[in-house]
Amino acid sequence: MKFLITILTIMMTTAATAQNAKTTKSTFNQVTTVSIDINADPAIIWSLLTNASDFTRWNSTVTMLEGEIKLGEKIRLKSVLDEKRVFKIKIKEMNPETSMTWGDGKGSRVFILQELGNGITRFTMTEKIGGLTFPMWAKYLPPFEENFDQYASDLKKEAEAIAN
Amino acid sequence: MDANQLLQEFESFKGQLKSYILRITTSVHDTEDILQETYIKAQEKLHTFKGESSLKTWVFAIGSNLAKDFLRAKKRWPENVTDICKDAALNNQEFFKESMGIRMTSPQGNFEIKEHVAFCFTCVSRSLPLEQQLVIFLKEVYHFQNKEIADIIDNTEAMVKYYLNEGRSKMVEVFDHRCSLINKKGVCHQCTELNGIYNPKQNAQEEIVKIKMAREAEKASKEELFKLRMKILEELDPFESGASELQLHHLEHNRGVMEKYLEKD
Repeated sequence: MKFLITILTIMMTTAATAQNAKTTKSTFNQVTTVSIDINADPAIIWSLLTNASDFTRWNSTVTMLEGEIKLGEKIRLKSVLDEKRVFKIKIKEMNPETSMTWGDGKGSRVFILQELGNGITRFTMTEKIGGLTFPMWAKYLPPFEENFDQYASDLKKEAEAIAN
Repeated sequence: MDANQLLQEFESFKGQLKSYILRITTSVHDTEDILQETYIKAQEKLHTFKGESSLKTWVFAIGSNLAKDFLRAKKRWPENVTDICKDAALNNQEFFKESMGIRMTSPQGNFEIKEHVAFCFTCVSRSLPLEQQLVIFLKEVYHFQNKEIADIIDNTEAMVKYYLNEGRSKMVEVFDHRCSLINKKGVCHQCTELNGIYNPKQNAQEEIVKIKMAREAEKASKEELFKLRMKILEELDPFESGASELQLHHLEHNRGVMEKYLEKD
């Protein structure tokens, strides 16, 4: 019985979290991407993604975010993937309610919002990291998929709670 | 719609508009000016009112814009505004002399804990980004619909929902952390301390249990307690209550203290 409950719990957790992040690896880089459909206006999703002071409240994958998410600004971020490390990231591109690019010396993360109609917005987040030295440090990278799935699930949960 | 109809309708919601502007600006003097200017602007622009929203919504939009213009260049207050102002008051004998004078002589000089709860929220809500502060008051205290609020703040309904959620979440957490009426570990006891000064013969605990938010503190969720806090504001007119003169005096004090504090900052 206990086994059955454990299986059911795992199934329910799986259902509540997006499970579609994928990583493609090549010699000099790796690309991780996740996509999720959110029943909310892009304005709400955009606001969540660009309000630095509120970020850690809804996003369980980010433990610290300092600075302002504005074009040209630099932010300092800590992720659950490596809580000892502070990522210093520049906001490189911002197209309100459509797309945004963050980046540092090792790679870039692109956020895309796409209106699908009927109040649905598709959120896609893609991170490409790499470079000539990538083969030397690739083995130290943790798997990103679960983190990306959680990020997308948290965003969906919060945006839909606000919208509905 | 003619000028007479405008005057009649304006009078019907003037009290709400006035208290709304006060709660946004925290300035008694500027509230009077903004209220008057709102009416003048509404008269001047009456020909542009097409009835797409209610007149009340349209006039609140004018008042909100004027309040926003007034606040735009001003810094937002910190969450611990009441701590900063308490320290300043303790070092200002004149403030207590004036306050006691009002308490002893004014028909609107009573001190009531629930009045102070409303006063406290007014001050702390100035720590929210301006749009969030406006939306919280418009929705939670004056009960406008999201569509009407979108018209008032000239934004989309989606953003109204976002601001509401943000503002609520922040205020829920701030008061859960600070307010000893709802959390035994709350760091702020200012309302009961002041009750001891202004109503020395009163038992503060007996007064606290008269407030539903305090009675429900142990069993209700943080969000429900926030709703009950908003109910207190909704039921009080800061210009007409039996405690209004004393509370407005305190509000002016806090505004003055914060202006100096933020100048230095």
